[in-house]
Amino acid sequence: MKFTLRIWRQRGPNERGGFVTYPVDDVSSDMSFLEMLDALNQRLIVAGEDPVAFEHDCREGICGSCSLVIDGVPHGPDRGVTTCQLYMRRFVDGATITIEPWRAKAFPIIKDLVVDRRALDRIMQAGGYISVNTGGAVDANTLLIGKEEAETAMDAASCIGCGACVAACKNASAMLFVAAKVSHLALLPQGKPERTRRVMAMVRAMEREGFGSCGNQYECEAVCPKQISVRFIALLNREYLRASLTETRLSTRSDSSHGESY
Amino acid sequence: MGSHVITLDPQVPPGPLEMKWDRRRFSGHLVSPANKRRIKIIVVGTGLAGASAASTLGQLGYQVECFCFHDSPRRAHSIAAQGGINAAKNYQDDGDSVARLFYDTIKGGDFRSREANVYRLAQISTQIIDQCVALGVPFAREYGGQLANRSFGGVQVSRTFYCRGQTGQQLLLGAYSALCWQIERGQVTMRPRTEMLDVIVVDGHARGIVVRDLVTGRLSAHTAHAVVLATGGYSNVYYLSTNASGCNVTATYRAWKQGAAFANPSFTQIHPTAIPPVGVHQAKLTLMSESLRNDGRLWVPVSPSDRRPPNEIPPSERDYFLERRYPRFGNLVPRDVASRAVKAICDEGRGVGPGGQGVYLDFSDVIRQQGIDVVRERYGNLFEMYERITGENAYEVPMRIYPAPHYTMGGLWVDYNLMSTIPGLFVIGEANFADHGANRLGASSLMQGLADGYFILPYTIGHYLATVHSPPIPEDHRASRAALERVEVRLKKLVQAKGRQRTAASFHRALGKILWDYCGMSRCAAGLRRALEAIPSLREEFWRDVVVPGSGEAFNQELEYAGRVADFLEFAELMCHDALHREESCGAHFREEYQTEEGEPRRDDEQFAYVAAWEYREGETPVLHKEPLNFEFVQPTARSYQ
Amino acid sequence: MRQAAQLVDVARSKLMASLAGLVLVGFVIVHMLGNLQVFEGSDAINGYASVLRDMPIFLWTARAGLLTAVVVHVGLTVRLALRNRQGRPVPYTLRRYRAASVASRTMALTGSLLLMFIVFHLLHLTVGIIDPAAPHGMDAQGRMDVYGKIIHAFRNPLYVGIYVGGQLVLGLHLSHAVSSVFQTWGIAHAALDRLFKLAGPGVALFVVLGNLAIIFAVFLGWVRT
Repeated sequence: MKFTLRIWRQRGPNERGGFVTYPVDDVSSDMSFLEMLDALNQRLIVAGEDPVAFEHDCREGICGSCSLVIDGVPHGPDRGVTTCQLYMRRFVDGATITIEPWRAKAFPIIKDLVVDRRALDRIMQAGGYISVNTGGAVDANTLLIGKEEAETAMDAASCIGCGACVAACKNASAMLFVAAKVSHLALLPQGKPERTRRVMAMVRAMEREGFGSCGNQYECEAVCPKQISVRFIALLNREYLRASLTETRLSTRSDSSHGESY
Repeated sequence: MGSHVITLDPQVPPGPLEMKWDRRRFSGHLVSPANKRRIKIIVVGTGLAGASAASTLGQLGYQVECFCFHDSPRRAHSIAAQGGINAAKNYQDDGDSVARLFYDTIKGGDFRSREANVYRLAQISTQIIDQCVALGVPFAREYGGQLANRSFGGVQVSRTFYCRGQTGQQLLLGAYSALCWQIERGQVTMRPRTEMLDVIVVDGHARGIVVRDLVTGRLSAHTAHAVVLATGGYSNVYYLSTNASGCNVTATYRAWKQGAAFANPSFTQIHPTAIPPVGVHQAKLTLMSESLRNDGRLWVPVSPSDRRPPNEIPPSERDYFLERRYPRFGNLVPRDVASRAVKAICDEGRGVGPGGQGVYLDFSDVIRQQGIDVVRERYGNLFEMYERITGENAYEVPMRIYPAPHYTMGGLWVDYNLMSTIPGLFVIGEANFADHGANRLGASSLMQGLADGYFILPYTIGHYLATVHSPPIPEDHRASRAALERVEVRLKKLVQAKGRQRTAASFHRALGKILWDYCGMSRCAAGLRRALEAIPSLREEFWRDVVVPGSGEAFNQELEYAGRVADFLEFAELMCHDALHREESCGAHFREEYQTEEGEPRRDDEQFAYVAAWEYREGETPVLHKEPLNFEFVQPTARSYQ
Repeated sequence: MRQAAQLVDVARSKLMASLAGLVLVGFVIVHMLGNLQVFEGSDAINGYASVLRDMPIFLWTARAGLLTAVVVHVGLTVRLALRNRQGRPVPYTLRRYRAASVASRTMALTGSLLLMFIVFHLLHLTVGIIDPAAPHGMDAQGRMDVYGKIIHAFRNPLYVGIYVGGQLVLGLHLSHAVSSVFQTWGIAHAALDRLFKLAGPGVALFVVLGNLAIIFAVFLGWVRT
């Protein structure tokens, strides 16, 4: 198979980027999309050119590293998969394929197709956890969790943090990501004690990072490789509303209350 | 370098097996809370072991600096583990116990692991599940709300806890969330996109590391009171493996060069059920969960010349080779046994698919008996993945599978306290050699990573820190400068090597082929000697011909990769030395010279019941040290699954 | 400005904007239902108008409320839209949508057009300064002749065109807005989600068809003079 690739090249965060066109031939239909890029890079290296920087690691759709917008869709034309799980047999021989990075203010470009997604980590650090010390946990079966409940929590927890939801959103909003994280813990009894603080802290962190707001267009769900439902966004909104109404502010130092656990 | 003499003292506490860990915890000195705040610990790697260790150390009050080469600590390769995590909870009341998990693990490891370590692992396994549930890991549940279990990987009890096919991801997200909490509290400083390139050793103690900032290319030295390596395994030395593309040996290998002994480097696990490779473009092998063998049957045509499509071959002309050879366990034999059987079949020329590399994994019987919906419910996502990759529908035609390098039991030698032969350098998770002997059972790696990180290291490192006098050292200490210089020289050499324009990947592929052929699923002295000749010359070619574009002072993925390949090219030799010296077959290490007439491995407990720990000597062959394995509590038996 | 936009409490702004929007949705429904009385003849609608005018406190409170809702809704959504625009400083060269409806993608546009249309509509039929030729007189009972105004306006193809355009814009805006409210307020339910999804287009269709019925009926002369 043969393709014409239009790839976004950008040397650094503050440099101007632009498209460069690369013809590739000898592409086997058994190749994955990233293997096709590997082959291009091998050629570029031998020719003394700078290979195309792109992120990848597990190459089996779970680590969330790969992050390409292919022909205008994050993770490309297949649904429910990451870029690394996309195979060339999916494309028409001779096609021109446009490859861009995730684009969002909160995801500055590092090089070419590699972006900085630490904003998602900072949202998690703001509250995406259950404050429980190692050791001393009660027997796991002490806590009964209905199958339905556990499965729904698992649906939310399956988020791989790739950021495709942000890339697809017209407003570059991280709502689906935050919704998945908040819902996962809010649905489980272990997560209940901190739910008010958690949702407020995470939503505020998201706003601080410069992500846009949710426009309820559901592009995020349509590109999510784990097909996480936008119903979790509704759940996040509900959690937020609940927290806004119940956050009493009686304890103004609630954010530093962990101090006593030293 | 090698300034201290290596002594292998396993530091196993005396007394009955069940009491050893309790005794160690009691006898260990404690660090006072006030002092903890002044103690800095470096943790390298954020997989299950690294993230759980860093978060727990932070919670205890130490100042932790944590490094990973990913953009986020959540992406480490633990995330890809599918199957589950073992624990001796005996929730199913099917006869499980700590003793049984201990025995299964030590037998599964073919009696090449340390009893005390394995017993401790089995003891701690139950606490891990409690801890993970408390952190919000959404394990599968029964309708009544209790935890669900499945049986997994060649054992006869149901002790595996799981989260669909994403157990590794959920456990890692649990550890990562704990880490996030400690980052938020200011106890852990997280440094993503940094790669560790050397260890700083001062007066024989590990006191820091040299890292490269992968975005700017800047090198820097970081000092601390102790260093923890949780940098994973080295299956990628084979080029094609089920590991993530970033997995590498660099951290542990550089530590080896600074004096940490490397134990059993040739013990590498080849997983039987991966999708067969199809061409040179292949960048990785995709694992199909071991659970598929619960229902799928492995077979090949009886006749090598049979080229009919699988569905046209009548049952009488099929060879269900695992069921034939191992009637008691059938398709559920442990990984090493299954992999070897598949390889033997393919070597006979009876393999199927491109290049004869593959055997059928057939679900037609279970589909007929239980219906397609049952199969779809159990394995739907795996079948989908298989179709996406191969373009074949496994509900209609049998899957083709072939073994793939998956896990490395070998790693840096550690004592019972998880400390390497460099005092102050602790090694946890897949990076150490400890608990799996010569073969790891399914669903045990997650257990070990979390046991090390949450429950063992935080205790044992405290004892070290409480008993050692380590004066503060400045970041520009002589030893730091020396380490920085070593790294700098090497990087410069890589960037400047611009010879006959061969890429690092092409060398890596060539190295992988040598190892796969001679130090893979089966080994022989002649082949290993051939490999030991081929590897140095390939390495020489590499340094002469490799081309690394760009500079070291910028984001440069090819430079990162070339550096890792350079280390693999040295490390591979160590693997072959180890495989050559071990003149027996045990676990995943199968020496063709040492087998029974039926082709089963022949272990030699008289001569080889020891851990082979190798010491680095500059410009010389590595020196072997032996830690004898004394089996006080179990009697090594022939590991038969027939 | 950039800094200020960052400090918007986005989540709360959205809730407030949707609440204000909901008030406006309620108004357009009632407005449409009230105007349907055109079909009952001049007496009915002029009577309806005069009842409203006979309750000045109610009328002006309602007007003030509506004005507040408009100001809050427009103010907050404009601020959000500006902030959202900053979310992606460098746009994609190629963009394919999978799920986003045309309505959802054009909310800012339809919102702006709608605002212009409302201003026009107020000046035209409420204040009555757009079309000086329109009847300003009273009907036989001495009430304001709303009926006459409507008939006059919608016999004119120019106004019919403008109002039909306004209805299309209103329909698009409502069809996304109403369904969105459920999501924004976290009202999700496995069994009812489809209903919520259909609520937007449903309400939009209801309002637009009602209004269009009046316009076309007058234009085509089906309404008795």
